[in-house]
Amino acid sequence: MPTLAILALILASALLAAVLVWRPAITINPGGKILAFGVLFFLPAFCFLAGLNNEMERSESTQFCLSCHIMEPFGKSLHVDDATYLAAAHFQNHRVPAEQACYTCHTNYAMFGTAKAKLGGLRHLYIYYLGTPPRPQDIKLYQPFNNRECLHCHLGARSFEEGAVHNADPATLPAIKANTLSCVSSGCHDVVHNVATLDKQKFWNGGQQ
Amino acid sequence: MSDIRPMDRRLQLSGILVIVGLLVEGLCLLWSRPIAFVVLVGLGGLLIAAGVLLFLYSLAIVDRANHNAR
Repeated sequence: MPTLAILALILASALLAAVLVWRPAITINPGGKILAFGVLFFLPAFCFLAGLNNEMERSESTQFCLSCHIMEPFGKSLHVDDATYLAAAHFQNHRVPAEQACYTCHTNYAMFGTAKAKLGGLRHLYIYYLGTPPRPQDIKLYQPFNNRECLHCHLGARSFEEGAVHNADPATLPAIKANTLSCVSSGCHDVVHNVATLDKQKFWNGGQQ
Repeated sequence: MSDIRPMDRRLQLSGILVIVGLLVEGLCLLWSRPIAFVVLVGLGGLLIAAGVLLFLYSLAIVDRANHNAR
C-alpha cells in the first residue's frame, strides 16, 4: 500500500475519531455504535498494520541503510570504479537490485532470516544511539559471511558452476557449496567494501537517476 | 460536562489515545530514519493498542452493567 494512501487513511481515521471524542453521545444509536467500532477498533488496527508493513518494506531499501551517518562509506564503496570490489561490481552491474543492495546480500536466506535481519537492525540502532558506535573501518559482521547468501543467486548459474577457478580442483566446488570454503574470505572474492582504502579509489557515478 | 456518561468518558479517552497514536504513526511514515521504525512500533503501536483495548474494555463493562441491571 503506498505511503500516501496510508497517510490519507490515517488522517481520515483521526478525523472520525475526533468526531467521536467531540460527540461520544452518538454511540447511543446503532449507527453510532458501528462507527465507534470501526473508528476505535478496525481502522486503527488496519492503519497500524499497513504502516508497519510500509516501514518493514522501507527498511529493506538501500537509502534506509545508508541514512545512518556511519554507513556512508559503505554506500560510497558501491560506486568504486574497480571490478574487484565485490559490492561495487554487484551494485553497478545490477546483480543485486540497486534499491535493495544492502538487504539482498546481508539478509539471511534461511528460515526467519528477515526477522533476524530486523532484530540485527534494532541492535544497530541501540549501538548507534545509546552505545559507542565503532569507526566505519572497524565494523565487522557478527558472524562470518555464509556462502548460502551468495549461492541463493549463484547456485546453478553457468558462470559459477563452470567457472575455471571453481573447477580447477574437483574439491573446490563441493567445499564452496558446503560452506567450508568461504567465497569472501579465502583469498578469492575478499575485496568487498574495504572502506579503509576508499580514499585511494576512483568512483563511478553513472547510471544514477 | 458533569452529566457525561462514564461510557462516553472512556470513549473519549480511547479516541484521544487512538488519535495521538495515529498521528505518531503518520509522522513516522514521513520521517525516513531508522529510529522512525522504533517510534512507530514502540510509541504509536502502544498508544493505538491502549486506545483499542480501552474501547474493548468499555464495551465489556457496559455489557456487564446491562447484564446486572436485568
